[in-house]
Amino acid sequence: MADRRSGAAGAPDQGRTTAARAAAIAELLLLEISNLLELYSKRETFTADVIAGDSRLVSVPPPSSQLDTPDKLWRLHAALIQCRGLMERAIAKEDEEMGSGTGEYETLRKMVKERLSFLINMTGELVKAVDGPAMMMPSLNDSVEPDSLTLFELKLWVFRVFTEVDYWAKTAVTILQALPKERVRTTRHRSTRSSRR
Amino acid sequence: MIAWLLLVSLSRSSAQDAGVFPCGPRNVTVSASDQLILLTWEDDPSCTSRRHTLTYELEVLIADQPAHHEEVAVSPDQMGSPHSWSWSPHLALECAPFTLKLRSRSHGRTSPWQLERIGPGHAHSLSPEVYPRDKVFRVGTQATFCCVLPTGQALITLNVSGDSSSNWVRRKIGNRTHSLTVDLVKGSVESGANVICETQTEHNGACAYIGYPPADHDLTCETRDFQSVECLWTVGRNTHLALKSPTTYRLLGSTCAKGSAGRCSHKVRVDFEERDWILTAQNQLGTVNLTDRADLMRRVHMFAPQEVKVSSVNARSVRLEWNWAIQMYDELNVRCQLKISDNQTSAVRECLGVALRFAVLDDLIPNWPYEVTMRCGTAQHFWKWSEWSSSVEFLTMGDVPDALDVWMQGNDSQTIITWKVLPANQSHGNIIDYEVTWEATSERRNKSRVLHPKRSLALSLDATREHVVSVTARNKYGNSSPSTITIPVLNRGSGRVKSSKTQGSHGGFNLSWSAASPMASCGYIVDWCPSRGPCTIDWLRVPPSQTNVCIFSKNFREGVRYMLSIYGCTRGAPVLLERREGYVKEKIIPDGLFRTLNWKQRDMDVEVSWDPVALQEQSAFIQGYILYYGQNNSSVMNISTDDPRDTSLTARNLQINSYTFTVKANTTVGQCGATSITVTLNSLTDNLIKAVGITIATIFVLLCLIVILCYRNWECIKLKVCPPIPMPVLKDKWMTSLTKKSCRPVFVEMSHHTEAELMAIPELHCKSEAPALDCSYRANGCFGEPVENLSARCAAAPCLLPLLPPPPTPPPPLSSSLPKDGRLNPSYNLSSTDSLVEGSHGYQPQKQKGQLEEASDTPLPCVFTYIPLPSE
Repeated sequence: MADRRSGAAGAPDQGRTTAARAAAIAELLLLEISNLLELYSKRETFTADVIAGDSRLVSVPPPSSQLDTPDKLWRLHAALIQCRGLMERAIAKEDEEMGSGTGEYETLRKMVKERLSFLINMTGELVKAVDGPAMMMPSLNDSVEPDSLTLFELKLWVFRVFTEVDYWAKTAVTILQALPKERVRTTRHRSTRSSRR
Repeated sequence: MIAWLLLVSLSRSSAQDAGVFPCGPRNVTVSASDQLILLTWEDDPSCTSRRHTLTYELEVLIADQPAHHEEVAVSPDQMGSPHSWSWSPHLALECAPFTLKLRSRSHGRTSPWQLERIGPGHAHSLSPEVYPRDKVFRVGTQATFCCVLPTGQALITLNVSGDSSSNWVRRKIGNRTHSLTVDLVKGSVESGANVICETQTEHNGACAYIGYPPADHDLTCETRDFQSVECLWTVGRNTHLALKSPTTYRLLGSTCAKGSAGRCSHKVRVDFEERDWILTAQNQLGTVNLTDRADLMRRVHMFAPQEVKVSSVNARSVRLEWNWAIQMYDELNVRCQLKISDNQTSAVRECLGVALRFAVLDDLIPNWPYEVTMRCGTAQHFWKWSEWSSSVEFLTMGDVPDALDVWMQGNDSQTIITWKVLPANQSHGNIIDYEVTWEATSERRNKSRVLHPKRSLALSLDATREHVVSVTARNKYGNSSPSTITIPVLNRGSGRVKSSKTQGSHGGFNLSWSAASPMASCGYIVDWCPSRGPCTIDWLRVPPSQTNVCIFSKNFREGVRYMLSIYGCTRGAPVLLERREGYVKEKIIPDGLFRTLNWKQRDMDVEVSWDPVALQEQSAFIQGYILYYGQNNSSVMNISTDDPRDTSLTARNLQINSYTFTVKANTTVGQCGATSITVTLNSLTDNLIKAVGITIATIFVLLCLIVILCYRNWECIKLKVCPPIPMPVLKDKWMTSLTKKSCRPVFVEMSHHTEAELMAIPELHCKSEAPALDCSYRANGCFGEPVENLSARCAAAPCLLPLLPPPPTPPPPLSSSLPKDGRLNPSYNLSSTDSLVEGSHGYQPQKQKGQLEEASDTPLPCVFTYIPLPSE
């Protein structure tokens, strides 16, 4: 543990670079998921109010101002992993029910999924760098099983998945862009604690 | 799949009841599957004995409302066998309870109704449910959807998303059920339209796929390899069902993997027989069968030749070789097209033969890159061309250049021989130089070499004789054949050809000239140059049969006048036939065209004149001029001329005022080149005063000149006009006493005497009055007064005094000789009074006594006679 801490503190520039790259990727993800959401909404003439209530598909601890940076990063990382799972299931189910095309929609879907994977790798590195909580495999909210849905319900579920990814892309941008300053502060705090010990 | 079916038999009447028609339906069953209601029943045993047709009446109630009525006739021979009836309701079975009523009827008697009910079995869900789900509809039909609400919730909306059709009806068909009937006017997106039902708290919906049945057409089948049939067809309109119900294709019963592309192949044995080739296209909305009847041996679509390559490349020909993809093609009589392209052009040549595997391409350009591709088809029963083969590129060998295109351009002292630079497709290699030879008849040949890229040579030739000039081009492969031109005798005939105007069009000139000239045995040459300024001549050759040509040149500029000459090409020197002048496009002449604008007032007219406009400044043909004139802030008038040679215009009957005169050139592109002057007209009185003043001044100057001349030549004039009077030589007392006595004035009148008289011996004719007589009588007191007094008196009493001839002595100075009144002879020498006095001494009166007596009472004139004496 001590080694990891010193490693993280000993390479602050590298950490900052990773954070900046992660923030940039999150911005790209946000742009792409926004486009995908817009395309889907237009095609299906869906508006945001077709999603009932504010129940979320991603299950992570609720946000809190008490969370420190490692916890925020871990929470984000866990949510993104769930988002990727949702995307994969949505793509597979759509292809199964409606056939796989090669149009703009399908291309965007694939791009979002791949961008999510890349961002997950980056946030994983950041979680490691800041000594985040021990990695646990996040689980999806299984309250909705797409296999039992009608086509319309499947469309609604896919819309919810895209909306969820959009939400977490925005969250990722916010967290990752604020990260360099906070990280410095956290690192100092931990250094102080270490010296007290 | 409907998992539930509720059959409720509500009532059954007994056929045995008295008064009731006994032949009714028995064992009635109802089932529903995939939105289809199927009703089955049997005849009552009592019906078997009937010999008349029995009618069964069926009635369907949806939510207790009559929705359908139908009758089924059963003939006696059908009696006893089970009957069935099916019906597809417009409303989904899940939407509302369906009640089916069935009874028999015969000869006005009816059996009791038998009722069967199908009820929606969905449990009370928490969200609204929309039906039917994921159903396929055909465009142009009407669809009815329903929304079953959860208990206690109210409907907010029920609609088809993205459907802008106004033809829809929404109804409440139950406590919790609402229906929506919509006209389906267009296809949905491939993922289907969404029918959305919204309550206060929930959204839910169903997908509806709206599209068309297949509409493929034009099936054509052929073979490429003699082992399979390949069919092609035109895919119909978009069915909009690519996801939900994609069209499936079957050729001769076998599924086509890529049927949506309009192509399908199937292994068959190809033989010489005609047969039907059948394709089936199908989706949920319909099926289309396409048939093509053909003998595939006449439908051979060859594959493109393979391994095309070039061998034996020469300067003007190559040999092309290839292979076939199918061995059987060697047995066919094949026709091939070879497309030969270079950077500029493309041409197709054909070759034909059995087992055709090579072709020779000739008439190629030496040293020239080519690209060749080919395709083939059967020569007999030609069906269609193969695809183009892969292309082959090659470069032909070099050769000597082609002959040059030579022309001439004459000026005052030299003849310029010029030729066109050979383009790459004519030079056949890099040009090194040109050789120019020229000779007059029976003269030795002259030769000069011109290095490339120079393309002209100026020659000083004897203008009185024709010369023959030849030019050849040389590259590393040798010399071109010579191009010869005969230089005509300078200006022979060219002066007789007048140029006419021509109009450019579309950036060039469309020239046509009079009927073919017999002289133009080898065609025509049209050359052109700007009419003024430096010129690099350009030309074009026209075949003899053609008497018109379109000339375009990248060097043409708008607003520049070009001279175009049409020559007849003869065996000897070219003959000038016609000349044209024109603009590719006339341009507005800029303002200020007239460099000098002069004006001249004549009475009340003003003539405005200008210098002739130089040709370089004419960017359009000038057809005349217009003079605009007017006073400030008043209407403008104009006069014009249609003669472009005019250089003045006169504005008439103007007023004394300030005028602005503007001259414009009139051209086909409008009035332009405006140049203005402002002038103020002078009045005629002013002119008169000016003339008088000038006249007076002229006279004054003349007088001054005369005076000056007189002053300068006064001595001469005086000698001429007033010769000096000789002094009297007599000096005696008489003369002396005369000076002392008073005397009547003596006036010496000279002007009335001629020179001869003056030269004569003078006589004194003094018509003196009495005192004068006294004077002569009293000699002593006659000339006693000064001369001045005497003169004054003479004015009152004129005396005629003939002058003596002039003495030889020079006259006295003028200043002292001028009398004050000027009436005396100015040559008279007053300073010599003494002499006069002295001379008076010698005076001898000729008639002293008699004359004195006669004048005793009245004054008598005295006549003095002087005797001239030589001066001392």
